[in-house]
Amino acid sequence: MSFGALHVLGGLAGGLLVGFLAAGLDRILTARLQSRIGPPLLQPVYDVVKLLGKEALIVNAWQAFCACTTLLTAALAWLLFVLQSDLLLVFFVQAVGAVFLVVGALASGSPYSHIGAHRELLQMLSYEPLLILVFIGMYLETGSFRLEVLFAWPRPLLWRMPFLFLVLAFALGIKMRKSPFDLSACHHAHQELVRGVLTDYSGPLLALTEIAHVFEVALMLGLFTLFWPGGGVGRFLLPVAVWALVIGVDNATSRSNWRWMLGTAWGLGLGLAIVNLVWIGQG
Amino acid sequence: MDPRVLWTVVLMLAPFAGAASCVFLGRSPSARRAVVLATGALLIAAALALLGEAPFRLEIHPGLRAPLGITLMAADAALLAAFLYYGAKYRHAGILLLTLLQAAGLAVFKGVLTHSAAAPGGIVVDGLACLMVLVVSIVGALICFQALPYMDNHERHYGVSPSRQPRFFGVMLLFLGAMNGFVLFHDLSFLYVFFELTTLCSFLLIGHDRTHLAVRNALRALWMNSLGGVAFVLGMIEAFRSSGTLDLAGALAAPRLEGDATYFVALALLGIACLVKSAQFPFQGWLLGAMVAPTPVSALLHSSTMVKIGVYFLLRLAPGFPGSFLGQALALAGSFGFLAAAGLAVGQSNGKKVLAYSTISNLGLMFACIGVNTGSALLAATLLLAFHAVLKAMLFLSVGAIEQHIESRDIEDMRGLYTTMPLTALITLAGVVMMILPPFGVLLGKWMAIEAVARHLPAVVMIALGSALTVLYWARWAGTLLSDPLGGRFHAERQPALTWIALGSLGLGAAALSVAAPWIVERGLAPIWHPAYGTAYAVVAGGLESATGAFAVLPLSLAAACGLALSAFALHRAFGARRVPPYLSGLQTGEGASFRGPLQQAVRVAARNYYLDRLFGEDRLNPWVNLGGAILLTLILGGVL
Repeated sequence: MSFGALHVLGGLAGGLLVGFLAAGLDRILTARLQSRIGPPLLQPVYDVVKLLGKEALIVNAWQAFCACTTLLTAALAWLLFVLQSDLLLVFFVQAVGAVFLVVGALASGSPYSHIGAHRELLQMLSYEPLLILVFIGMYLETGSFRLEVLFAWPRPLLWRMPFLFLVLAFALGIKMRKSPFDLSACHHAHQELVRGVLTDYSGPLLALTEIAHVFEVALMLGLFTLFWPGGGVGRFLLPVAVWALVIGVDNATSRSNWRWMLGTAWGLGLGLAIVNLVWIGQG
Repeated sequence: MDPRVLWTVVLMLAPFAGAASCVFLGRSPSARRAVVLATGALLIAAALALLGEAPFRLEIHPGLRAPLGITLMAADAALLAAFLYYGAKYRHAGILLLTLLQAAGLAVFKGVLTHSAAAPGGIVVDGLACLMVLVVSIVGALICFQALPYMDNHERHYGVSPSRQPRFFGVMLLFLGAMNGFVLFHDLSFLYVFFELTTLCSFLLIGHDRTHLAVRNALRALWMNSLGGVAFVLGMIEAFRSSGTLDLAGALAAPRLEGDATYFVALALLGIACLVKSAQFPFQGWLLGAMVAPTPVSALLHSSTMVKIGVYFLLRLAPGFPGSFLGQALALAGSFGFLAAAGLAVGQSNGKKVLAYSTISNLGLMFACIGVNTGSALLAATLLLAFHAVLKAMLFLSVGAIEQHIESRDIEDMRGLYTTMPLTALITLAGVVMMILPPFGVLLGKWMAIEAVARHLPAVVMIALGSALTVLYWARWAGTLLSDPLGGRFHAERQPALTWIALGSLGLGAAALSVAAPWIVERGLAPIWHPAYGTAYAVVAGGLESATGAFAVLPLSLAAACGLALSAFALHRAFGARRVPPYLSGLQTGEGASFRGPLQQAVRVAARNYYLDRLFGEDRLNPWVNLGGAILLTLILGGVL
């Protein structure tokens, strides 16, 4: 892992590009599925820019600290990923952002914010073990947690880790807060009017959390590129396909409750992961 | 006098001398304060001086063997007599039975087996012993310092008169002496005496307040740890039968006959003694019961003394069982403890209980690493031991300070703590962050642990689940500390100077040690395991690298410092921005957190954390985790018999 200022800036710009494009396409695709035309592709960017220009209204000053930390660590986790650091380290750093988002929401006295924060904790409880086990699978197959080794791995991990691939897709749905896992905050107005964990973040602070989420989604999508070798189209088809799947499911299902989410993640998700880990360990 | 002998003797005898002075001179508060401060300062100085002299080994002078042997016998007899006394006084059949069993075992051992008077083991000061001496002496002394103002408050609050502090501080110092003795001696029969002495000290400290609950929990601690004592005696007998020596290194290195199970039986029994001391399932009850004691006692038991005996001693034994079934079973038991205790912590709103379950959980992770028993796994366990000791002491002392201020230890009552006790709240928050987030030491240890355990599938699955639960219960607490109502800008509250000294040095120490972790690992901890296991980690560009991964400690610490500065700036700006009430569907009254309800009446808003007790409550989980713990215990024993 060696880099200069250009790599850092390029990496950050790349993350914003991937994340905002995903968000823009999400809104267009979702609109088409709902027989609407939808906003321009860059609408998420316009939204964030507009939010940044608003007056900061503060419920609890610590929310500013938390929103700022969330953004910085989400960006750092993405940077560590593109600069090819250690997979477990990337995981730990992204957890910092997730934790501080919740801490900020808990700092508000609003019950909406509170319930959202606790649901977000349950989302984390659901996806974190799955992510760790996917990474363990990659380690068992390649003998390394280093991303430089994983990126350069010559054979498709997909054929060796199909179940873990599904498990990661599952984790992506939870991390992106898409139906049926949109418990802590939701984009669909028909399911929620008050935005859960984000309720009391407003104006520029909300913008910071939105940008952080853009980096988070970029990181999660980036993880799928590890399943296919080489620099060709295949590497980038996988995240696109999984992303489309998650958006499709989002529009076809409604919100579930946390018991179902946790039960499915720790039951089905864990089961699939363990089966796959056993057979990697054998071969 | 040889400085090596001098510092070793000081480390072992100063606490005993301090304890005696406390009991005899401690009636006067100023004398008691002076004795505790002087003993603590002496211990810290001696521990640092010892670090400069290490490594070395001292043999026991032949002329001293006979008097030491007699002292040992007398101490054994006195300790067992004390247990019998308390067993009889409180009519506790279990304690009486377990003590008699130990006495019988010892009689057989001393009378029949060791008649030939094998050469005793000496005093060994190697890296591991140094680490433990530093943890015990520095963290232990700081806890005793903070206990001085704490106990004054405590007795004022409960109206205790005449003061029972002389005995309290006497036992606290005695505890430190017992720990240093346990760590420095390398002879099983000496270890046993100190092992039992810590049991006695914990019994006395847990029962200190003499309430009905305190006595009951103290008795529980005594009988459970006596069970550990029985396991220790039996293990000692088996170890002697297997190797013919009481010297720890000698017993581990002794040639073994093919098919002779004695050796592994000895290790399994001693391992079970460790599990009891470290409160692993199903022996967690005594540590949870210990929460009734004054908070400095909890801090001492949880961080630097009692529970660390188990980890330390098992680390000592680790070179005896790499690649064995015993190791596999311990890895399972440890990771099960990590997961189960994390789950139980989720169900708790009592701050001290959360800390207690978190201790059991972290110790479980250390046991899992010791069970896996590779160089990197043992290194992870050693690193976790050190960081956990410092941080857990700090968190307990913070909760103690909070408890005396708000008169509650419930997390729900810590809402808005930043307004009433800003500095303590910040220190607690820092402690929470250092427990779960990078780039701090505990997480570095967890990273190493996951790398080391990755090929042990059941263990790694349990650790993955346990980690997620761990994040949940800590994040929930952190958010509660900062929650509304939030006052104005920061004004540090008033606390006794000794409290700030203890909290500040533990907090800053943990942060500094985290930044220096790569070099601590390279120079201090890796050499402990290098001779037998080789070196798994190297320092590259301020980070730790292994063959399988890299953790950029220093670059991440710098990034964290910059990030902290930026976020703190955002916080500063936010204090100047326009304040609005929390979202209450547009019905907020504008005065505090309340909304306009029916008939325009103001209704106060209340929000409570999720504790998910239908899933993670003690009532719900305890039968299962105890069953799981018992099954794994039989696995450990059954595997070797």
